[in-house]
Amino acid sequence: MPALLEIRDLVKVYGRGTRALDGVSLEIHEGEFVVLIGLSGSGKSTLLRCINKLVEPTSGHVMFDGTDVTLASGQDLRRIRRRIGMIFQQFNLVKRSSVFANVLAGRLGYRSPWRTIASRPSREDVALAFENLGRVGILEKAYVRADALSGGQQQRVGIARALMQQPQLMLADEPVASLDPATSHSVLRYLEEINKTDHITVICSLHFLSLARRYGTRVIALKGGRVAFDGRPLEIDERRFKEIYGEDAVEVEIGVTRTADEERAERAAKLLDVSAFSDAATDASIER
Amino acid sequence: MAEYFVARGLPVPPELRRTPLTDWRRWSLIGATLAVLYVGVRLLDIDLSRANPAYAGTRIVSLLQWDLSILTPQNEFETFWDTAGGLMIITIFLGVVATAISIVFALPLAFLGARNIMTGNPVASAIYGVARVLFTVMRSIDVLIVVIIFSVIFGLGSAAGVFGLAFHNIGVLGKLYSEAVEGIDAGPPEAITATGATRFQVIWAAVLPQIVNPFISFSIYRLDANVRLAPVLGFVGGGGIGQYLFQTINLSQYNKAGLIIFLIVVTVALMDFASAQIRKRLV
Repeated sequence: MPALLEIRDLVKVYGRGTRALDGVSLEIHEGEFVVLIGLSGSGKSTLLRCINKLVEPTSGHVMFDGTDVTLASGQDLRRIRRRIGMIFQQFNLVKRSSVFANVLAGRLGYRSPWRTIASRPSREDVALAFENLGRVGILEKAYVRADALSGGQQQRVGIARALMQQPQLMLADEPVASLDPATSHSVLRYLEEINKTDHITVICSLHFLSLARRYGTRVIALKGGRVAFDGRPLEIDERRFKEIYGEDAVEVEIGVTRTADEERAERAAKLLDVSAFSDAATDASIER
Repeated sequence: MAEYFVARGLPVPPELRRTPLTDWRRWSLIGATLAVLYVGVRLLDIDLSRANPAYAGTRIVSLLQWDLSILTPQNEFETFWDTAGGLMIITIFLGVVATAISIVFALPLAFLGARNIMTGNPVASAIYGVARVLFTVMRSIDVLIVVIIFSVIFGLGSAAGVFGLAFHNIGVLGKLYSEAVEGIDAGPPEAITATGATRFQVIWAAVLPQIVNPFISFSIYRLDANVRLAPVLGFVGGGGIGQYLFQTINLSQYNKAGLIIFLIVVTVALMDFASAQIRKRLV
């Protein structure tokens, strides 16, 4: 099976000589849920933005479904872009517009500029917008201003907007980095659902390894603009973790399956740790 | 105090090194300012000996003794629009029309003068530069001078006033608008670009909704300013009530001039109040 996305020797050098991507080569197949990990500044965002050419790569190629994105421009580029959905850390909704208007905007790539201003949205587009709002569970908020929604709800609007493109590929740039753990799971479950039921390939950058293990079918780690790891989520052990994040890094868990009881127990344990610094406890430890 | 830092090998904060009274830089700045003012006063040769309080007193009294006849037509050839009230209304509309014309031109120019819109290729950057220089040039020539120039082209009257005022205002609004465009959140345009929309669609769907309110606010602010400026334009040949006021002053008809000035003051105050109220409600 040919790859849906083929990235060859991708290099991106920013104005002041920063090499954000330093020769990345990847093949991503249809149906994968790829999680991108790596430190801030390792090139995750740049890589995602080179795929739909929001960022122009310095050299190398990105082949999407047999077409070279890096060489495309104008109408050809827009045709490619509309098959690639994207969601963002800051959701990037038009805050003053309604949820419905935001979702409908996902369809712009299919409409002529003239029709954008001169006519009302087509019946099919409206129906599709409501269908997608229903899918992400915010149908009843359709006419609310986008900034009146909570972070998690705004990200779901972002997903609905991207689904309007009926994309083959979904790019997610730190989609849960500004959300709390519970909301993060709710958002990622929607991505998982569109990956499984709609067979939309997902490339999603995440900060938490626990989330990467839980949702990814494949994990790609970037370090200094190069691929530092590419494999199954469970292959990332202590040694690999330190390779990716540096010697000083400690893995932090984001609650996946912990119950309230476990959390309480952990808090209690932390309190005990703190008491170790009191004099009595210090004496006791010296005796030991 | 400084010893504390010296003893610990820390840099001494500048605030501790000098006291306000011993700071020579402060004294030299005060000295330079006084020197400039001294030279200015000597050059201006301000002469108070020609002031005539007694004469001024009678004039001020006549400014307050309004000649109400100018509120009605003076002869059979005049209509309401030749009276002071009519001319005041005409002058308000002079400001309104000039603002409308300038909005029409400033709106598209504002996008050409916004750095975040004009990116991507050297041509766009060049257009950006040209638009910005244009705004600065149009803005930096004072309205009165613009109207004088336009009165050479269009002759004395409303045409010079309207177009001169509009010309100046394109520069002001262009700058204000384009800075509003530059101040938008870049996230939504990025997201809409990613959906495969054209640059025009991106502006329509992701930029316009963000700038509607600042644009309305700036437009009302300029409408207010233009209506305030409009009565003065008549002094340099821009038509409207200013021309009438200029006439009455030249003919020493202070009873008429006083009433006209009163009308202008009332109009400007009302305009100021209304504009502040509308803009407060918008934000």
